[in-house]
Amino acid sequence: MRGLGAIFRKEMSLYFTTPVAWVVLVVVAFFSAQFFTGAIDAWRFLAARAAAAQSTGTLERMNLTDLVAARLFGSVALFLVVTAPFLSMRLLAEEKRTRTFELLLTAPVRPAAIVLGKYLASLVVLAAALAIVGAYPAILSLVAEGTRGGGAVEWPTVATGLLGLFLLGAAALAVGLFFSAATDTPVVAALASLVALLALWTATQFTVGAGEPARELAAAVSAAEHLAPFLQGRIVLSDVLYYVSLTVLGLWLADRAVEAHRWA
Amino acid sequence: MLRAPMIEVRHLTKRYRDLTAVDDLSFTVGKGEIVGLLGPNGAGKSTTMRVLTGYLPATSGEVRVAGYDVFEQPLEVKRRVGYLPETPPLYDAMTVGGYLRFVADLKGLPRARAAAEVDRAAGLAGCGGVLGRLSGNLSKGYRQRVGIAQALLGDPEVLVLDEPTVGLDPLQIREVRDLVRSLAGRHTVVLSTHVLPEVALTCQKVLVLQAGRLVGFDTLDGLVARHLPGRRVALEDVAFLEEIYARMLGAGPAPEGRA
Repeated sequence: MRGLGAIFRKEMSLYFTTPVAWVVLVVVAFFSAQFFTGAIDAWRFLAARAAAAQSTGTLERMNLTDLVAARLFGSVALFLVVTAPFLSMRLLAEEKRTRTFELLLTAPVRPAAIVLGKYLASLVVLAAALAIVGAYPAILSLVAEGTRGGGAVEWPTVATGLLGLFLLGAAALAVGLFFSAATDTPVVAALASLVALLALWTATQFTVGAGEPARELAAAVSAAEHLAPFLQGRIVLSDVLYYVSLTVLGLWLADRAVEAHRWA
Repeated sequence: MLRAPMIEVRHLTKRYRDLTAVDDLSFTVGKGEIVGLLGPNGAGKSTTMRVLTGYLPATSGEVRVAGYDVFEQPLEVKRRVGYLPETPPLYDAMTVGGYLRFVADLKGLPRARAAAEVDRAAGLAGCGGVLGRLSGNLSKGYRQRVGIAQALLGDPEVLVLDEPTVGLDPLQIREVRDLVRSLAGRHTVVLSTHVLPEVALTCQKVLVLQAGRLVGFDTLDGLVARHLPGRRVALEDVAFLEEIYARMLGAGPAPEGRA
């Protein structure tokens, strides 16, 4: 699509010449390091207890992938939900605030190319952040080995976990892009998408005491429920569809909002 | 002087909720002509330009640029129009050179030509010396020049310049005036301004708007003949234009509507 590449390259250069992407990457690196060492400490504590109790069965069943890598990914997931709004807030709201939106909309470029070019740039930053997260299981595989020889880390499970995180982050960025298209203040866009994403993340918490249909509904819309199978090494179609539809919905609404801005 | 119309505006009306910014405006601009839009603040100059460039849709009426309907074939129109908005659309975190390369990219100029085209446009607009500086650190005058350079990229047939000399010092104003005059013939230019000498010195035709309505649209000679009959004026003498302008605004909408 004409103009998509130009928008994408501009956003990439703005992400990495301004502090935004660097701050997000450093924050992700710092906190995943904390989660990682925390998970390893928990593992060591469990292993010490199992050894003291002479419970060799427990020791053999203890799995570094589930107890360290998946646990790390689970903690990072909430982090993605919280940081994604800061990656997406600027994308369209800032253009409107600084009046550069007029340049984009009078250039020979379709609104969809503007929305997609910006979205793809934010996906690259997300992928970079996940590459940092993926480095921790790699470190683990260097220093540990499996109980029966071989690698201590089950890479397929790590891969599905990272895929789940990517789908979650991609959906969060699409939702954030919509809110960025709907306002001309980046901070408002960030707060609105944060509220929306946290509500999706904690959906099941709202229906703890409610009846079965309400609980099922909450589980169906919960962004957290749909992530769990990925962390266990399973790719379930309905979970993939959940994130993909949320992404498509966010992008479609963002495109509509860009069009509608001209009619206001 | 018979030329194919480059810009045709027919019964253009633009309403924002309860405000009518442009009211039944009709005019045509021939290929290679330079037309100045004059009018008090809020007369609808910027709105007219935003509709011309496809940024805002018209409430009713028809606008064609180079034969293409702005609403039906916006991309064809946008490809042929260079636009300087009221606020120069700069990214503070980008260097001027990086910004101009981005706009060239956005306009779909081939990579191989882009570097030379950026140099050409920056040279014409007088910002060739600041290509390495961050836009955020530029003075108002330089921001304006970069905005003009951006509009010139790709050598578009039509240039729509919303107050191109705002924020410039008198010498820079003269440079921009020379630049606009040099575009005449090959390019069709619509510019808006508050500065009357600029109109007299750069434009062949003047379009006066008041409260969204056309008050008059004519060549300078035509305006003089109608409003100051028998008066001999020199082009450098601005007083005559001020007098005409005051008379037109005082007189209200012209009954004949267009020239």
